[in-house]
Amino acid sequence: MKKLLLIMGLLLVLLLAACGGDEEETATNENSGNDSENTSSENNDSEDASSEDEEPTEVRIMSHFFSPTPPSEDNEVEQRIEEATNTELNIDWVSANNYPDRFNVVLASGDLPDLMLVPDPFSPVFRQAADQGAFWDVGPYIDDYPNFKKNIADIAWDLTAMNGKQYAIPRPRPSEGEGFFTVRKDWLDNLGLEEPTTTDELYEVMRAFSHDDPDGNGKDDTVGFIGYINDENMGSFGSFEGVFNGVNGEWGLQDGELVHRAFYPGTRDAIEYLAKAYEEGLIAADFASLQVSQARDIFKGGKAGVSVEKSGALQDVYDSLVQIDSDFEFKNLLPLTNLNGYNPKGPGFSGANAIPKSVPEEKMKKILAMYDRWMEEDVFMLHKHGIEGVHHTVEDGEIVIDTEKILADGIADHNQIVYVSDPYASTVKPTFPEEVQKMYADIQDEREKTSVGNIAVGLHSEIGITYLPELRKDAQDLKTKIILGSEPITAWDDFVEELKNDPDMQQLTKEINESYQSR
Amino acid sequence: MIDNEISTQKPTDVSAYTKMEKSPGKLKKFFKHVKRDRYLYLLALPGIIYFFIFKYVPMYGITIAFKDFSPFIGFTDSQWVGLQHFQRLFTGEDFWMLLRNTLAISFLNILFFFPLPIILSILLNELRSQVYKRTVQSLVYLPHFLSWVIIASLTFMLLGKSDGIINYFLNELGFGTFDFLTNPDVFWFLLTGQSVWKEVGWGTIIFLAAIAGVNTELYEAAKMDGANRFRQIWHVTLPAIRNVIIILLILRLGDVMEVGFEQVFLMYNGAVSEVAEVFDTYVYRVGIQQGQFSYSTAVGLFKSFVGLVLVVIANRMSKRFGEEGIY
Repeated sequence: MKKLLLIMGLLLVLLLAACGGDEEETATNENSGNDSENTSSENNDSEDASSEDEEPTEVRIMSHFFSPTPPSEDNEVEQRIEEATNTELNIDWVSANNYPDRFNVVLASGDLPDLMLVPDPFSPVFRQAADQGAFWDVGPYIDDYPNFKKNIADIAWDLTAMNGKQYAIPRPRPSEGEGFFTVRKDWLDNLGLEEPTTTDELYEVMRAFSHDDPDGNGKDDTVGFIGYINDENMGSFGSFEGVFNGVNGEWGLQDGELVHRAFYPGTRDAIEYLAKAYEEGLIAADFASLQVSQARDIFKGGKAGVSVEKSGALQDVYDSLVQIDSDFEFKNLLPLTNLNGYNPKGPGFSGANAIPKSVPEEKMKKILAMYDRWMEEDVFMLHKHGIEGVHHTVEDGEIVIDTEKILADGIADHNQIVYVSDPYASTVKPTFPEEVQKMYADIQDEREKTSVGNIAVGLHSEIGITYLPELRKDAQDLKTKIILGSEPITAWDDFVEELKNDPDMQQLTKEINESYQSR
Repeated sequence: MIDNEISTQKPTDVSAYTKMEKSPGKLKKFFKHVKRDRYLYLLALPGIIYFFIFKYVPMYGITIAFKDFSPFIGFTDSQWVGLQHFQRLFTGEDFWMLLRNTLAISFLNILFFFPLPIILSILLNELRSQVYKRTVQSLVYLPHFLSWVIIASLTFMLLGKSDGIINYFLNELGFGTFDFLTNPDVFWFLLTGQSVWKEVGWGTIIFLAAIAGVNTELYEAAKMDGANRFRQIWHVTLPAIRNVIIILLILRLGDVMEVGFEQVFLMYNGAVSEVAEVFDTYVYRVGIQQGQFSYSTAVGLFKSFVGLVLVVIANRMSKRFGEEGIY
C-alpha cells in the first residue's frame, strides 16, 4: 500500500513537472532557433549597408504553401531575404488545403502573427475582425513606401478597401491566366480532332476521349472530363457554368441590376449539359466523391483528356505524364483560348496580407519597410530564379534554371508572401521549356481579348453572411444530384422558382445591389 | 483486494455527502471519513486535478453559446444574447435533418454494430483450438488501429464506380455497376459497415474478458443437467455477461449524438449531403469554416446536453430492471 502511494506520488510530481517543463522547453527551443538564425545572418556578411546599423526586426509571418513540403527554416533564399530586409523571419507555413480553417481558428485564438495571409479579404470573419479594429489600416502609411503603389494595381487597392480603410494589402496577381480548360493535344491528334471552340465541339471531344480509345492502348480506360466539386460551389465544373452564362462569378449584370447566377438560363443549360455528359460516361463516374488532389491524379495519370487548370501549374502534370510515357511533350497540354467566346479574367489580386493591431506602430512601419524592400527586383528575384550558382547559372547573359533544385527547395512558396506581378506569371513559369513558354504566352494574349471579369468582387451583404453559405450549399447539392441523375432537371426549375419568392434572396439581391451602387 | 476496498468505500462516501447537507454535525463525520481515507483521496488527486484543469476549466468557454462572441472583443466583453443561437438552431431548416441523420446513424450502429462483438466473442469462446482462437482474435483487432483516413481510402478503392474492385466484378458478372459512394439510400449502411469492419474485433475484448471470468463449475453443472453447447451459451454465458452488456449499452446510448466526425466527414460528398450532415460536421462547417463561433458552440452544447440526458435515462432504466448502473 505504501509503496503504491509512493509511486503515485512520484507520478504526480512527474506529471506536474512535465507540464511546467514543456512550455519552458518550447520557449528555449524557439529562442535557440532564433539565435542560430541570428548568428548565421550575422556571419553572412550583409550586402545591404544601411541595414547594418540597426538590429534586425523579428517578424512572424503566417502564410500557405503549395509545394509538397514547405521551405526549410534555414534555406538560403530566406537567409538572403532576411539580410536584404534586415529582419529575422519566422514563417509559419500552413498547407493551402486547410489554410482558411487555420485562419479562422487563429483569429479566434487571438494569438496573431505579425503579418498574416488573408485568403479571402471579403469573408465575414475577416470583415468583422477588421471592423472591430483587429488590423492596421495601412492606408495612411503606404504612400511612404513607393513600391506598394508601384507594384500593386490601384484597382486591387480599391477593391480590397473597406469603408475607405485599407486593412488588407492585396497580393497582386496577373489578371490573365485564370484556371480554364486544358486539353490533351496528343489525344486530339490521335483521333483527328480539332481544338474545340464551342461547348458542342467540346462535348464531341469529351465523347471521343471517353469512347474512342484516344491513347491507343486498346482498352476502354479513359474519360473525357475530370474535375472536382466543392461543398459550396461547382469547383472545377464551374468553368462550364461560366461558359454557358458568359458570366464570371456569382453575380451577373442584367439591365443594370446584379442578378444571382441561379436565375440565369445558362446555369440550367450547364447543368443539363453536364447531366447528359455524365449519363453518357464522359465525366469520371465518381467525380462527386473525389478530392481535388484525387481528380488531379487522374489527369496526371493520363486517364482523362480535359481538365480545368491554371497553365502555370502544369509542370507537375507534365512531370507525371512524362514518367508514364517518356515521349510525352509539354506542348501536348493545350490550354483552350476560349469557349463560346468566353474565358475568365481574374481580379488582379489573390487574397491579401494584413498586419494585426497587436503589432506596435513602430514595428508595423518596419514590416511595411520590409515588404517594400522585398518587392524590389534584387530581393524578389531570389525566390523567382533562386540564387546564382545554386538554383540557376548565367550563360551568355541568359539565366539557365535548375528546375529540380528550385522545386526541391520549394523556394517559390515565398511568392505567397510577397509577389511582384508579371503579367504572364500565372500562365508561364520559368521552369517550362522555352517553346511552351512562348506558346502559352501567345494563348494568354489571345485570351485577353475575350476574358470576362467578376464584377461582384468585394460586394458585401449583411444577410449574406449567414444566408449565402446555405444557399450555395443547397444549390450545389441539387446541381450535383441532377448531374448524377438522381434528380431530374425540373427539380432545378422548382428550386429557382422557390428562390425567386424567398424573402432572404430578395433581401440579399437588394443589399448586393446597394453595395454595388455605392462603389 | 484494492478493488473490493474501493467499491465498499464508495457508498459510504456518498452517504456521507448526502447526510452532510442535512445537519452540520455530520460535516465533522465527513471530514473524519476524509481523514480516515486520506490515502485513497490522495490516490484520486491526480485524476481530480486532471479533470479539473482539462475538463472543467475549459467549460467556461461554453458561455459564448449565450453571447455574440467576437474574438477581438473577448470573452468577457462580448454581448449576451440569451438563447438567440438556440432559437436559430431549433427554428432552422437544418435542425430536423441533423437530428434525423445523427440518430439514424447511431441507431443503425446500435442495432447492427453493438450485438456483433458479443456474437463474435461467444463464437471465439467456443473454439476448441487455443492457437486458432488467439490467431483469429489478433487478426480481428488489427483494423481498429487503422485511421479513418485509410479506411475511407480503402472504401473508395473497393466501392468506387469507375475503378472500384467490387463494381468491376459486379460488372463482369453482368449485374452492371452499383453506385455506393454517392447514393443517399445506402450511405448510412455504408457507415455502419465501415464501423463494423473497423471495430468489431476490438469490441470483443471486454466481452471475452467477461466470459473468461465465468465460473467453469457452472458449465459443468449445466452439462450434467444435459445442456448442449447452445443451451450452455444461452443459460450460462449470456446471463453471466448480461451486466457487462447493459453497462456498455448505457455508455453507447450516451454517445448516441456522437457519430464520429472523421468517418462521416471523410465519406461526405454533395450527393449524399442530406443524409450525411450530422451535428459534428455541421459544427465544423459553420464554426470553423464560416467562423460563426457562438452559434456552433450552441449546436455543440445542445448535442452534449441530449447525450447527458440520454445517459441519465438509460442508467435509471437499467436500475429499474434490477441491473447495476454506471453510477
